[in-house]
Amino acid sequence: MAADDASFDAENGSQRLDKDTKESLVRVVRHGVLLGWSFVVLFPLYWLASMSLKPPGVANQLPPEWVFLPTVYNYIQLVQDGEFLAAFANSLIMVGASVILVLIIGVPAAYVLSRYDLPMERDILVWILSSRMLPPIAVVLPFFVIFRALNLFDTRIGMVFMYVSINISLVVWVMKAFFDGIPETLEEAARVDGATQFQGFTKVVLPAAKPGIFSVAIISFIFAWIELLFGLVLTSFESVPVTLFVYSFIGSRSIEWGMLAAASMAMILPVVVFLIVVNKYLAAGLSFGVVIKE
Amino acid sequence: MARITLDDVTKRFGDEGESIIAVDDVSLEMKDGEFMVFVGPSGSGKSTLMRIVAGLETQSEGDVLIDDTVVNQLGPRARDIAMVFQNYALYPNMTVEENMSFGLKMSTEMPEDEIEETVTSTAEMMGISDLLDNKPGELSGGQQQRVALGRAIVRDPNVFLMDEPLSNLDAKLRTEMRTEINRLQHDLGVTTLYVTHDQTEAMTMGDRLVVLNYGELQQVGTPLECFYRPANRFVAGFIGSPSMNFFGRKVEDDTLQCDGFEYELTEPMRESVGDHKRVELGIRPEDVELHDSPVDGNDFEVVVDVVEPMGSIAYVYCRAAGQESDETFVVEADGKRAISEDQSFYAHIPPMDAHLFDVVTGETIHQRELDGDLGVTADEREQSADVSPNS
Repeated sequence: MAADDASFDAENGSQRLDKDTKESLVRVVRHGVLLGWSFVVLFPLYWLASMSLKPPGVANQLPPEWVFLPTVYNYIQLVQDGEFLAAFANSLIMVGASVILVLIIGVPAAYVLSRYDLPMERDILVWILSSRMLPPIAVVLPFFVIFRALNLFDTRIGMVFMYVSINISLVVWVMKAFFDGIPETLEEAARVDGATQFQGFTKVVLPAAKPGIFSVAIISFIFAWIELLFGLVLTSFESVPVTLFVYSFIGSRSIEWGMLAAASMAMILPVVVFLIVVNKYLAAGLSFGVVIKE
Repeated sequence: MARITLDDVTKRFGDEGESIIAVDDVSLEMKDGEFMVFVGPSGSGKSTLMRIVAGLETQSEGDVLIDDTVVNQLGPRARDIAMVFQNYALYPNMTVEENMSFGLKMSTEMPEDEIEETVTSTAEMMGISDLLDNKPGELSGGQQQRVALGRAIVRDPNVFLMDEPLSNLDAKLRTEMRTEINRLQHDLGVTTLYVTHDQTEAMTMGDRLVVLNYGELQQVGTPLECFYRPANRFVAGFIGSPSMNFFGRKVEDDTLQCDGFEYELTEPMRESVGDHKRVELGIRPEDVELHDSPVDGNDFEVVVDVVEPMGSIAYVYCRAAGQESDETFVVEADGKRAISEDQSFYAHIPPMDAHLFDVVTGETIHQRELDGDLGVTADEREQSADVSPNS
């Protein structure tokens, strides 16, 4: 009997051992895969960052110098060069304004499209989407002509309109789907509670739609922030966006790698800051304290 | 508290010409403090009718009156009502406390501290005090339901409207909340309009039921009136669980021709039938008797198809021996009685418990025999019970 027990224990023990080994093996593989993937994702960023910290003449060496004395020379050069700061500020203002404007126009439009039975609603939606159907390169010259005619060429306001037109379809479509997911009974409850229809929208629906609004805001921001083509054609001096300024480091004879890398690093900054600020709402997800009618 | 009157209310949806009639010329009056239940299958117009009372929907024709004021043109805001929605419709971005105080902030001039006090005391009454700082998303279904009720109660409105508030709860919680809503309504004495498709809920909760089908009013009456004195075949079949059994189609020589058997009409039945040729007999499952041998000439042989034991009772699904169709009817039998499938019995339909309906119009032409006053509401029953020991 005792012998039986012992063998039973041993068997049990070896089973446990097997299980432990398996688990740790899985853990090793999982970490290995994650490490590998992180390397793939982060290496270009590392490359860019390290290039921005190399002194001139070292940045473009191939094979690269893996060990070097980091310097902020490129960054100082950037800051001292007023043009970069001007372009950076230009972009911040134009992109920021465009995001606010596109939300002011797009969110209420999406709400109306979601809540009211409009005639030709489907067509309106497709029409809005159609603004993005042509490749930008195909429309950039007509835009150039129109902008010249309307005195919008090389103006910040012109670029704001441009960015709004780029993002409006995204905002309307995503927010319409979002509002569709918010039960209408919420507004009805608000109206029964004594709110006007407008108060129902501002006090109940909009706060409930916050995660959606912040999502489209950050995506619109990124799309406008990284836009190059329209900036290249529709600006010349006054309203040059930062992308265009970065692009200017790629000259016809040589490329200023260090400066290019430093400016690119600087460009990442606002997106990261914006993401950190709104991250809470993005992560909040879509938990509506309501049960969807079955 | 308030009276509500609906006067020839009709609601059509859609364009002229191809519109759908959701509510068809409904008139009724709800007394002050009454608990009235709108009951009917889906698409019967009961929710639409409630939404018309709420002011969320405007009727195509007719008037809605609260007390003596015609409120047709008034929005929900001006009607001083509170509503509990099927999906609770709690504001997801607000805490429970904010949810409950929202209505008071929007519809009254009450100062902040008074609002807080009112909310706190209502929350205590509803047993949700410890949830006040939570968001709706963090609550269970039952808790959300309590908050939704609390949000309505805190407003101290003229009228409560409840749109299938229990349908998202599990069976046990539903029964508990049913009792609780009953008690609350009784304590608060606020006129309450309750919509449900569940006839059990309707029977157990309402002072009076409004039975609707296809937008038309079928019957208004106490639960017992609707059960024992159905106005038509629809009400007879809808109220009561399991449903009433229906037999026969036509009357020949004072005999009802049924699938598999014949039923000779009694003298009072014949008087009721008169000229009606196409007649259906209705009998509730608990009134049908199963015997081993025939009791009278109307009894017919049946074969048991399925037995559903419920404990104290069993539902026995039977088919008449000579029947052509596969249809069964249900008999409520004593749960202790041993009945098995394919067993044969003689079914006895006591004439005094049977209803007769006109097949064409659905109208009830003969009611079962009964003693007692069915017009008494639950409240009145309770009051008379309170008085009787002393008298």
